[in-house]
Amino acid sequence: MAENGGVTLEGVTKTFPGGTRAVDAVSLAIAEGEFFSLLGPSGCGKTTTLRMIAGFEAPDAGRIRVRGADITALPPEKRNMGMVFQNYALFPHRTVAENVAFGLRMRNVPKADIAARVRQALAMVRLEGLEDRRPAQLSGGQQQRVALARAIVVNPTVLLCDEPLGALDKKLRQAMQFELKELHRRLGLTLVYVTHDQEEALTMSDRIAVMRAGRIAQLGTPREIYDRPTSRFVADFIGDTNILDGEPREGGLAMPGGWVSPVASLPPGVRAIALRPEQVRLTAAGGGIVDATVEEANFLGDSMLLKLGLPAGVALLARVPRDADPALTTPGSRAGVSWRPEDPVPLADA
Amino acid sequence: MRAAFLAVNGAVIAFLLTPVAIVLFFAVNPEPFIAFPPTGVSFRWFEKFLTSRDFMAAFGLSLVLGAATVAIAGTLGTAAALAIARGGLPGRRTLTAIFLSPIVLPAILTGFALFQLAMVLGLGRTVWILLAGHCVIAVPYVLRTVLAVLAHSDPALEEAARGLGATPAVAFREVTLPLIRPGVIAGALFAFIVSFDQFPVSLFLVSPGNETLPIAMFNYLRFDSDGTIAAASTVSILLAVLLVLGIERTIGLQEYARL
Repeated sequence: MAENGGVTLEGVTKTFPGGTRAVDAVSLAIAEGEFFSLLGPSGCGKTTTLRMIAGFEAPDAGRIRVRGADITALPPEKRNMGMVFQNYALFPHRTVAENVAFGLRMRNVPKADIAARVRQALAMVRLEGLEDRRPAQLSGGQQQRVALARAIVVNPTVLLCDEPLGALDKKLRQAMQFELKELHRRLGLTLVYVTHDQEEALTMSDRIAVMRAGRIAQLGTPREIYDRPTSRFVADFIGDTNILDGEPREGGLAMPGGWVSPVASLPPGVRAIALRPEQVRLTAAGGGIVDATVEEANFLGDSMLLKLGLPAGVALLARVPRDADPALTTPGSRAGVSWRPEDPVPLADA
Repeated sequence: MRAAFLAVNGAVIAFLLTPVAIVLFFAVNPEPFIAFPPTGVSFRWFEKFLTSRDFMAAFGLSLVLGAATVAIAGTLGTAAALAIARGGLPGRRTLTAIFLSPIVLPAILTGFALFQLAMVLGLGRTVWILLAGHCVIAVPYVLRTVLAVLAHSDPALEEAARGLGATPAVAFREVTLPLIRPGVIAGALFAFIVSFDQFPVSLFLVSPGNETLPIAMFNYLRFDSDGTIAAASTVSILLAVLLVLGIERTIGLQEYARL
């Protein structure tokens, strides 16, 4: 996959002075044109990984290749990458047009071409007419677009984004997610996107590498990551989830309180399962796998999130339609819960 | 409340400006001694100052020293500030403390130390030692002001420039320098004033025939107390005001004073 021209990391390691191993032998292959996200909590090494791809940090070990060529030792100015920084890093002493033109000037593009390409890039991010403003005179969303225009105007081989939407409010962030995705599709760019927002990663990415403590915890498509988390960490980090610990039995996992959750295929030695709240179904008491008490019910607009009490004090989250039977969803009521045997995901590292 | 505030402010301003007023007052008083009330207005002391070969030589040396101090201390202080703020060096706090120590140390000690050093090395009291002394005193001012602007500028800006294809030197010229310019200019202004005004360090390092204006004034004052010193002071004050106004006019000190 990587040979055709993406970004390859081979055993890339970075230890900071003081001994923290920020990135620990990370290997991955990003395909040409792919929207690839590095996702994880703060301190997981995702930003350091991105900065090594950009050339702002040098790895202690390992190789980084772009389109097959080893760029590990190249300084950032020779990598032809575009980077969008968390706080945009727009040059405050230059106008919008000068900011966007900077990379072209560095490449000695003729003046007339610069003007045309700047105009084109600003049109692409829908910022026409603001050429002569200073960054301080723009809103956060507009600054974000300038940063994007500045990064793509040079036709980079790879576009790197470090939490580019982190400083925007929720509505604007959502709008920018759509725009960024559309831009990615239109330009066919290889895009490496760092975020701690799992929802953002799920909506935008072709593939996601979930990182933890400098290593890749899981790598896959958003669906794979969401539906088949391989570890307790990933299951817990991505979306709302229930993690149930029990003892392996024939056909399932025996839970505290004396009931058995059916699990379609439980590898030997696995003692925990992950179950999404939306996979839990409510039936009349006595009609499910086990009975639960409704402890709390939160109205979410499009659905309801219930906090259920299982035997032996185990809690279970369930997401049910907003028009579900009130007799089963009112706090204090009893309901039966069930799920399909193929729904629970066995967690190997529990 | 407001009246009290105004009164306190007025008192502080009066306290700060009275010496200047007294100097001006005696500079234009024709009497050959410090006298009150004045007997008239004359420019004879200005004439005496501006036509005195000794004073003019000292004035010239002070101007040249000031300019050289700006160039050298400005470069060193800026470079040191960049290294401390961005270089990722170990022991940055210690380095800062060492660089700033000439401000903390009594200037007379610095002067005495440099004097002894010059003697031990057999260099004698040349203008070069004098210049070195002024630079030692001036560097911390530049360092301070440049560090202050660097603390407010995002290191990611330099990375952004690098990522867009700028070599380190070009990134410095295109991005870093324009952003730290206010600090550099403010520091340079301080450096000039510190040098032009320097007394304790100069005292140990000047040699006969190589006197700076403050030293020449001091020496003159030991034997004469006519209005020449007041006139010399007035010229110095005027020079400082013109310098500040000039920078204000051309580059805009107001904006850059926001450190």
